[in-house]
Amino acid sequence: MLFFSKNKVFALLILLVSFFTPFTGACGLFAVIVAIMAAHALGFGKEQLQNGLLTYSVVLFGLGFGTNFEFGIAFMALLVVGALLTFFISAALNAVLNKRGLPALSLAFIISTALLIVASKSFSGIGLTHRHIYWYNELYALGGNRLINLLTNIETWNIPDFVAGFFRSISAILFQVNIGSGIILAIGVLIYSRIAFLLMVFGYSIAIFFGYLMGGFNQIDMSYYNMGTNFMLVAVALGGFYIIPSVRSFLWIFVSVPIAFLMVSSVGSLMFKQGIPIFSLPFCITVILFLYMLQMRAKPGKLVLTPVQYYSPEINLYTYINGKERWMPMMYHQLSLPFMGEWMVSQGYDGNMTHKGDWGKALDFVVLDNEMKTYRYPGNLPEHFYCYNKPVLAPADGLVVEIIDFIEDNEIGGNNAQQNWGNSIVIKHAEGLYTKLSHLKKNSFKVAKGAFVKKGEIIAQVGNSGRSPEPHLHFQVQANPYVGSKTMSYPFAYFTTREKNDIVFHTYKIPNEGSFLSNITTNDQLHQAFNFQPGYLLKVKADNYAEEEWEVGTSVYNETYFYCKQTKAVAYFVQNGTVFYFTNFIGEKNNLLFYFYEAAYKVLLSSENKINVKDNFPLSVYAMNTVKWLQDLLSPFYIFLYMQFESEVKKDANTLHSGSLSFTSKRVLSLFGKEKKISTATVTIENGKLHAFTIQTSKKRIEAICTL
Amino acid sequence: MQKLRYESPSIQKMNAGLMNKFGTRTEYEAVKQIDGVPVKTLIEQYGSPVFIISERTIRQTYQSALRAFKTRYPKVQFAWSYKTNYINAVCNIFHQEGSWGEVVSGFEYRKALGNGVPGDKIIFNGPEKTEAELILAIHNDSLIHIDHFEELYQLIDLAERLNKKPRVAIRVNMDTGIYPMWDRFGFNYENGQAWQAINKIVASGKLQLTGLHCHIGTFMLSTDAYAIAVKKLSDLAWNAKTQLNTLIKYLDMGGGLPSANNLRGAYMPAADMIPSIDEFAEAISNAILKIGFANNELPLLILESGRALIDDAGYLLGTVIANKRLSDGRKATIMDFGVNLLFTAFWYEHKMSPAQDFTHHTEDMVLYGPLCMNIDVVRSSINMPLLNRGDHVVVHKVGAYNMTQWMQFIQMRPNVVLIDEQGNTYLIREAETLEYIEQMEKMPAHLKTIQL
Repeated sequence: MLFFSKNKVFALLILLVSFFTPFTGACGLFAVIVAIMAAHALGFGKEQLQNGLLTYSVVLFGLGFGTNFEFGIAFMALLVVGALLTFFISAALNAVLNKRGLPALSLAFIISTALLIVASKSFSGIGLTHRHIYWYNELYALGGNRLINLLTNIETWNIPDFVAGFFRSISAILFQVNIGSGIILAIGVLIYSRIAFLLMVFGYSIAIFFGYLMGGFNQIDMSYYNMGTNFMLVAVALGGFYIIPSVRSFLWIFVSVPIAFLMVSSVGSLMFKQGIPIFSLPFCITVILFLYMLQMRAKPGKLVLTPVQYYSPEINLYTYINGKERWMPMMYHQLSLPFMGEWMVSQGYDGNMTHKGDWGKALDFVVLDNEMKTYRYPGNLPEHFYCYNKPVLAPADGLVVEIIDFIEDNEIGGNNAQQNWGNSIVIKHAEGLYTKLSHLKKNSFKVAKGAFVKKGEIIAQVGNSGRSPEPHLHFQVQANPYVGSKTMSYPFAYFTTREKNDIVFHTYKIPNEGSFLSNITTNDQLHQAFNFQPGYLLKVKADNYAEEEWEVGTSVYNETYFYCKQTKAVAYFVQNGTVFYFTNFIGEKNNLLFYFYEAAYKVLLSSENKINVKDNFPLSVYAMNTVKWLQDLLSPFYIFLYMQFESEVKKDANTLHSGSLSFTSKRVLSLFGKEKKISTATVTIENGKLHAFTIQTSKKRIEAICTL
Repeated sequence: MQKLRYESPSIQKMNAGLMNKFGTRTEYEAVKQIDGVPVKTLIEQYGSPVFIISERTIRQTYQSALRAFKTRYPKVQFAWSYKTNYINAVCNIFHQEGSWGEVVSGFEYRKALGNGVPGDKIIFNGPEKTEAELILAIHNDSLIHIDHFEELYQLIDLAERLNKKPRVAIRVNMDTGIYPMWDRFGFNYENGQAWQAINKIVASGKLQLTGLHCHIGTFMLSTDAYAIAVKKLSDLAWNAKTQLNTLIKYLDMGGGLPSANNLRGAYMPAADMIPSIDEFAEAISNAILKIGFANNELPLLILESGRALIDDAGYLLGTVIANKRLSDGRKATIMDFGVNLLFTAFWYEHKMSPAQDFTHHTEDMVLYGPLCMNIDVVRSSINMPLLNRGDHVVVHKVGAYNMTQWMQFIQMRPNVVLIDEQGNTYLIREAETLEYIEQMEKMPAHLKTIQL
């Protein structure tokens, strides 16, 4: 959790560096063990402790305490008491702040250390140590002359103060002030995240520049914990960790780092008078302040708070770019088109006939024949119009809150401006989310006010009542339950449009005027095969691979996932009745679950038409190489590397949905727009069950068989 | 000035009405081209008589019929009724549009397979299916529609022998208030045989009861009859679900939808009498949706409409051979096509149009075919403009049944030509030749030589 990371290599490096001052390191370790044991005894759950949110302040406390105080019985007693105090404060702060979506950062460590430092002044049993002045002694004990020589050598290297200060500042996070530790930690940061490294350099440079402008700071000051480190941490936290890294987030560092700078000077000098080091307090205040401020915005804007924390700026960014569409289901209710078959949008949003002003975000639908006419000859009666009398469906589950059902149909060309909306129904889907369907036929309602309707249920028939010169269906989404409320812009979750000879699949779009729309007809068999319920167990076998058992589970956040019992890999997925897609993969990559993740990354559960579904993999699931490193560095600004995915269910006229069915998919690597096919896959479904999948790359072929 | 066309003298009834400045008028219009291809060119190229099929009309009719159902009911499947017109090119237009195949004999079954229809998209109907045909259908996972108990027992037996579980449906006949009642096919609903058959199938455990089928008649003029049929079929499906725990996956409402042809003896013209496909769709869809199936358990609605989808797309082009005056003074015109090609002339009063300009004079006449046989009457009384020898005539709406029920009697069958959507013509069935007809004949040695 230090440095925001969950990277194991980085963690090892941190451990290594902290033992450059073995005593200090041991204090950190001891403190955290005490805290964890106490937490277990108190009944804290494994889940609460596993991610280290509650304990990393304890580690910092241990390290800080070890650095500052002389060893002795009083020291040990205070260390134990202090560690527990830190843990308690941590628990309390996390509870208070997390509720508001804010991190507690290292506040607990700062508070408890400050308390102990002030208190220790009146305790004669414990005194400040000079050990850190003579830390070579410890180093000698650890690694002999060679290590000392190495580190002193580095100190004498002819590197500019600016760079040396940078490394010292990094090492100061672990209460050290030497370039060697700094370099190792910097490498660790680089392995953990290129963006974070870039941000550290940015934050440090901005602080130096700002200090230079103010004329009050010199570079030597930067090297202390309470100086340079704060700015680097602020830059990482706000530039790429709690906020999705982007050009905007980088630009805002130019504001947030100087704010932290201000804190360092002001709060620092106040606390200095009490003899309390400020540690990372400026960082904590700045970050919490900034994040709280951002949460108060009415519109999320383009500076996006990280929706799901993956503890790496890269993963956060790639998952975010990749998941913009995937977050749609979280932001929008899943609405479907309110009719059967193919209809055309005769008037779209802000149309030039009647969709004006506050009532502009509405859609009118009609049925057309091959000659683009809405009626058959002679067209002088509502009955001649293709859409007349057609069933109207509920766009989503909901409660019928209003029905108007007494208005006669107009003659063709007529217009009833008195009862503008004609016979209408308003359905409530959620708080502040209502849909209204209008110009319906009198006495055609199949439901009553107060009824609960299911998505796709027939609720009425199209008529020609109200302001309707010819039969059509009016649809709008509104925030209020009244007929006549103003409209709001809202997309349909999934639908297809017919363009020339192609059927195009749309997700969370608002249909355009003139487009021909149809709902997605799901294939029962595909739907059944991908309807993985918690507890579902799948055995997967392939040559050259160990047999795997995948169990379907649900997390506390209600995410469904496959858990591979052998490799412990986890693949998160969503199946919403129309589409199946994976949202994340965690764990080892060289196994069958990962290959299945690649093969069935996104599948439209319909075989009615030949529909190509495209998506991109988050780059973070792919292994490191030079190009990827470069991409990571540039990722907040420009993406040139894509791992594209395409899938297509074989068009099948088998409307009874029996027998077998298959879909193919491929992965294409795109580098600066140049595409290269990486692999193809085929997944077969038999009798409503996942049967097998095959993956073909240039090097190998994997044929996996799935059994229950 | 263009030379005026000769028309033979005609006899007209004295019309004692008020005079008007427009003179006598005729509702006839010359039909000089089909889908942009001149009739004259077609006859020059492919001879006379010749059947013409419009691909554009087929596709448009199909799409609008499908639209009528799909905008009313979520799960609809059409199955092309092979017996209506089984020229392979015609079948494949329907298959391209997404239609399955509906066959009523082993011959048609193999034809569908030959066209590339996957076995599991063939519906095998009809009272006669041989054991070999049933075995083929079982292996292909086709939908076998059982017509009688003998077949049911045979299938149970075959299923056991082959160790397969064939997908079957039963054909049900019922009283839907129309006459005549088609009770010769399938199991009767009212006397309980249909329910008995369903019970036997489920109890046997050897067959998968997948659907229910009915076909209440042909050229149906009432939408109500379909609503009644749906109701009765759905009752069976509902009982199967609730009492036998068997989910019926589809209801096959058969065909029987009328085309816009005038029935013989009908008082009113077809356009005023027959309900549109939309009205049938409305009646059928509403009836199923009313039953109360859950949204995800709604049965697939299968339609085997033939006539309504193909009749309009077929034309027969012919030529006048001669005119004569009959003993009672009526005019008679002899065409080069007769009931040998236009089998439907027994049912319909086909609409005919001259293919070239004519004057406003018309006369009641009899249209005869070329056969030396008294039955060969195409229209016993038709009011037509006057035609000369060599003039061409277009017969409309002949796409259904004629190209399957035509007779090789006295004359041979002519060319069948398809006009695609771009106006290109294709010969899709060649005119028969003497060699073709005699191909199957065998001559005993002692009859080989004759001496006259």
